[in-house]
Amino acid sequence: MSDEKILYIIYAVIDEINEQLEKDQRLDKSLDTVLFGQSGKLDSLGMVNFIVGLEEKVAAETGKEISLADQMMALDEDSPLKTVEGLAQYVYSIVEE
Amino acid sequence: MASEKLRGILLSDFNIQNLAGYLNNNQDEPEVEVKAAPFGQVIPLLVDPNGEIWQEVYDFAVIWTMPESVVPSFQKVLNFEPVDIQTILGEVDEFTTLLKNIQDKVKTLFVPSWVFPTYHRGWGVLDSKSGFGTFNILMQMNLRLAQNLDESGHFFVLNSQKWIEQSGKASFNPKMYYMGKIAVGNSVFIEAMNDIRAALRAVTGLSKKLIVLDLDDTLWGGIVGDLGWENIRLGGHDPIGEAFVDFQKTLKTFTNRGLLLGIVSKNEEDIALEAINKHPEMVLRGDDFAGWRINWQDKAQNIVDLVRDLNLGLQSVVFIDDNPVERARVREALPEVLVPEWPVDKMLYKSALLSLNCFDTIAVSQEDLARSKMYVSERKRKSLKDKVGSLDDWLVTLDMKVEVNELNAVDLARTAQLLNKTNQMNLSTRRMTEQELTDWAGEPGHKLWTFRVSDKFGESGLTGIASLENENNEGRIVDFILSCRVMGRKVEETMLYTVFGYAGSIGLEKIIARYLPTPKNNPCLKFFKVSGLKASGGDLFSWEVKNSFQLPRHINLVKNTVAADD
Repeated sequence: MSDEKILYIIYAVIDEINEQLEKDQRLDKSLDTVLFGQSGKLDSLGMVNFIVGLEEKVAAETGKEISLADQMMALDEDSPLKTVEGLAQYVYSIVEE
Repeated sequence: MASEKLRGILLSDFNIQNLAGYLNNNQDEPEVEVKAAPFGQVIPLLVDPNGEIWQEVYDFAVIWTMPESVVPSFQKVLNFEPVDIQTILGEVDEFTTLLKNIQDKVKTLFVPSWVFPTYHRGWGVLDSKSGFGTFNILMQMNLRLAQNLDESGHFFVLNSQKWIEQSGKASFNPKMYYMGKIAVGNSVFIEAMNDIRAALRAVTGLSKKLIVLDLDDTLWGGIVGDLGWENIRLGGHDPIGEAFVDFQKTLKTFTNRGLLLGIVSKNEEDIALEAINKHPEMVLRGDDFAGWRINWQDKAQNIVDLVRDLNLGLQSVVFIDDNPVERARVREALPEVLVPEWPVDKMLYKSALLSLNCFDTIAVSQEDLARSKMYVSERKRKSLKDKVGSLDDWLVTLDMKVEVNELNAVDLARTAQLLNKTNQMNLSTRRMTEQELTDWAGEPGHKLWTFRVSDKFGESGLTGIASLENENNEGRIVDFILSCRVMGRKVEETMLYTVFGYAGSIGLEKIIARYLPTPKNNPCLKFFKVSGLKASGGDLFSWEVKNSFQLPRHINLVKNTVAADD
């Protein structure tokens, strides 16, 4: 498992989430995209869809069950996990544990 | 309505916003604009049909509930508490009564059947037992729901169990519910979206009507021109041959549903037809096809020619070909034609065909059941036409009869279907439910006629509608609809003759007809331009009733019920 693979999984989840979102709310597939918080595009429903979608896809692709929900729902505004890059690094670290 | 966005509303006892997003973003026809009502408010919203949310009439609504939320006794079943089945079914009846509260507020209502989570295995071996088995009781509830809604022509139960099966383990994720009150997984919403869109295509007349098939390696295995018809792979003790026979049998069942089959193949016509008519294991014979183009020309052009012959639009066509190059060519040249990806493995043809969701209809009439035979008759008619000289001479040979009736209960379902499905010869492209149609025709000053056409080759069935509304001395043709099956045989003139005859009998002086353009109804404008009516402004046509309008000489108007109102 590489961190690129995790990034690929996150981008796949972004593709799925974008199918539900209006055009101006859609997420860019880039490292500095802010997902959550005041400067993020996802509302609370989008956040649920994203987190559960990411957990399911990580399990399907890596065989590892991860639980992000509790932590992600209570992030500080300046948490690095709010961006695609920070989230990818974090998920990679727990998948590799 | 065909060219406008359909407005829809979603009501649910769980968060259904994701489904609204999928429906709004999907690019397939028809375009929709959907909103989700606040979740958990289903019963209050149904109890008050005059509430704020019902101040507009929706083209469609989806009301999706969990069984225990609208049938409280089902929660007792889940608790393994004793409960009488009649009590449960009574609660189902109460729910359907509430649904009927909004029958005037929505043109079409979809109610997904009740399911419960796949992770809940019920009571195991006892689950199908009457009295407390969840599986048993849920089946009875769904059956009662479907029976209760059966009588309505515009309320439909959708089989959500199929969505769950397609989605597998991802159907239910408890985390989605606890974090967002979303009862089912997004894969279920996507399956639901596909089914709802298929149903909307059926409602709006956008479903496909003609399956155009290649021959070699599509209807049989191998190249008939190389092998000879005796050596193609079809039937026998051969899994591939068996699969081709099964594929043909499935296509044959589609003709029973009213779908048409055609052939577009690069072959020598006489060799291909010999295979079709002589091979002992061919299921589909010449009389199963509405038409064909078997030659060495471009397939896209052949499809255009075939569709023109059948008086259909390209948007009605599905093209099935094993060759990816031919598929790509048709896709590029004819974007209106649906060209599904087709499996390489011949044994998957039948399942690929059965999984297409482009053929749905909201009702099946006698005309549907006989449609394939009618088109075969039409092919024979055209064969006769080629032998006879002028159009008029040909029409005389047909012994045509047209039966006209005022709208009645027997013809209502077929009339509503024709009104809602016909795109080409359609003056105003109104779309109405059976109830709306009945109500409209019953209003003072309104008249609606239906036209049945037959000739020596057979019945074409109820294929025409004309309606008139009049005020003072003037009448307006509101609907002027004719199935493409009988266009160009002067049924159009017979319909005008009927309308003008009635207008004269009640003292109207002038009849007008306003053409409302859509992307598909140009044939109607072309007819009115040559009909003899006076044109003004490009889309308005008028007729002074005092002038004589001739019934076409070859038409036998067998039952003219046109009479002045009492």
